[in-house]
Amino acid sequence: MSSSNSIHSSAMKFAVKAWSNGRARAGVLHLDCCPTPIDTPSLLLSTRKGLPLFISPDLLPSLPSPDSHLLHVSPLHFLEGLSMTTISKIGGLHQMLGLHEYGFAAVPRDSIQCLPEANSTNKVGASFETPCGRLLIKPAEYMEMISSLRPELWATLADEVPAWVSDKRNKTSVDRTIKWLDECIALSPTGGAVFGAIVGGSSLEERQRCAQEVARRNVSVLEYHD
Amino acid sequence: MALRFEVLGRFNRARAAHLTLPHFVCETPLFMPVGTQGTIKGLTTNQLEEIGCQIILGNTYHLALRPTSELIDELGGLHKFMNWPRAMLTDSGGFQMVSLLHLADITEKGVTFQSPVDGKPMLLTPEESIQIQNRIGADIIMALDDVVRTIITGPRIEEAMYRTLRWIDRCIAAHKRPHEQNLFGIVQGGLDPVLRDICVRGLVDRNLPGYAIGGLAGGEDKDSFWRVVAQCTAALPEDKPRYVMGVGYPLDIVVCSALGADMYDCVYPTRTARFGTALVPEGLLKLKNRAMSDDTRPIDPACACMVCKNYTRAYIHSLVTKDAMGSQLLSYHNLYYMMQLSRNLHSSIVQGRFPEFVCNFLQKMVCISLSLSSCH
Repeated sequence: MSSSNSIHSSAMKFAVKAWSNGRARAGVLHLDCCPTPIDTPSLLLSTRKGLPLFISPDLLPSLPSPDSHLLHVSPLHFLEGLSMTTISKIGGLHQMLGLHEYGFAAVPRDSIQCLPEANSTNKVGASFETPCGRLLIKPAEYMEMISSLRPELWATLADEVPAWVSDKRNKTSVDRTIKWLDECIALSPTGGAVFGAIVGGSSLEERQRCAQEVARRNVSVLEYHD
Repeated sequence: MALRFEVLGRFNRARAAHLTLPHFVCETPLFMPVGTQGTIKGLTTNQLEEIGCQIILGNTYHLALRPTSELIDELGGLHKFMNWPRAMLTDSGGFQMVSLLHLADITEKGVTFQSPVDGKPMLLTPEESIQIQNRIGADIIMALDDVVRTIITGPRIEEAMYRTLRWIDRCIAAHKRPHEQNLFGIVQGGLDPVLRDICVRGLVDRNLPGYAIGGLAGGEDKDSFWRVVAQCTAALPEDKPRYVMGVGYPLDIVVCSALGADMYDCVYPTRTARFGTALVPEGLLKLKNRAMSDDTRPIDPACACMVCKNYTRAYIHSLVTKDAMGSQLLSYHNLYYMMQLSRNLHSSIVQGRFPEFVCNFLQKMVCISLSLSSCH
């Protein structure tokens, strides 16, 4: 497994600054768009269609800075009412939302509404509940969304399954996630930092297998837990 | 009397003035957003200050129910409670009681109604209304009037007008803070010029700090509406503010200002925002419309508000009626629009270019017919 302490891409620089006696580490994240570096561990603010749910964008600066500068975006939110063509025309997330000094991390699922539907996912794509109903998202479609939105960080498409699935289903989820990892990387736009998704349920072996494959692709890491 | 009203400029009957209130010096003509329950839906008090809001309205009926005027008083008044440093106006509670509640009954004593909280019979008297407003602590408080919709005809209108005059004396007697709060009288009388005239004279005799023109913005045809406003502004004293209650549409505000009114209030800008409609110089822009889904222009290219500077119609379209942020952003824009309209009215009169402003305003307004329908 890679033990590199820093990662560089055109939009993001990350370095670990300190370790605890165990595995915890404190780091610093530099994003081109953010004026000040962000300390990690860091919490992403949840958003709906890119804007925080609980505060209007002009009042965002009143929150602690830079701790409130990382926003989670679910590309699936935009399927309701805003085409990718239009988003591209506007110029991507920063232009569309008027938030130029904030970093966006795109992950398909959110914690409330766009949840993965493991039973409906198949070899072609990942299934999610969305405001437009249940949708099957293929890697190519997902990458089209990422290319239009242009977030600083984005996660590859994963086959997320709950902890109680069969071993066979669990193994399949790892196989698919690795396959989609490669498809997403192949289609990745310039400028964003790729986070490879790690699945594997509660099987340590499967988690390790997935992590090793992701590490081989030399990308950052996004770990899914149930 | 706790106000000063100084006229700075005129054009015919229109006037621009400084209205000095205990909490703020306001420029008229002005529009007052309605903050029903101690808040303007969708905006913080910081944002209200930023867009140039001068006075906001609180609804006595809603506040007396929750959290009660006694609690507000205990906590230092509504200004402190909602952290609004500028001016405030409370209405008497009468209109809500009649418009919101079934089985509300008006007698000489006051308005009897069923409490929506527990169904108990309750009575709002002129004395009680003023006491509640004294506790809430707004800069301007409204007399309890006997409100009748203009679509009603017959002896009820005359009865209501005379009762309003009897009640104003009871309001004046009950008012415990005349040096901190200004009690405005309300002119009633329906669409009848004789009744309106009697009411105006009666109120002017009481030498109140300001006067409101009530009972309008309720479904009457526009010609009748403007006629009543014109009659009242002609008869009310020059040196005191005139407030047309429940108005409203930008066009109505421009016309009433030309006729000599100074202050307005309405839920329309914020309410229509929650339905996805933006106020623009051309009239209305319905963001829900399919055509908006790929329109990358701002709501109003000429508007300097945060929403128009940052967001496209397409993005707002994706939010409206589905996400609360859509309502918030549209409310912000619509109120900014109303504040800008107030500023434009004031400055164009002061700078001697009021007729040019009005002509320009009317020329741009393509959707005049839409603006003429009733305000609820």
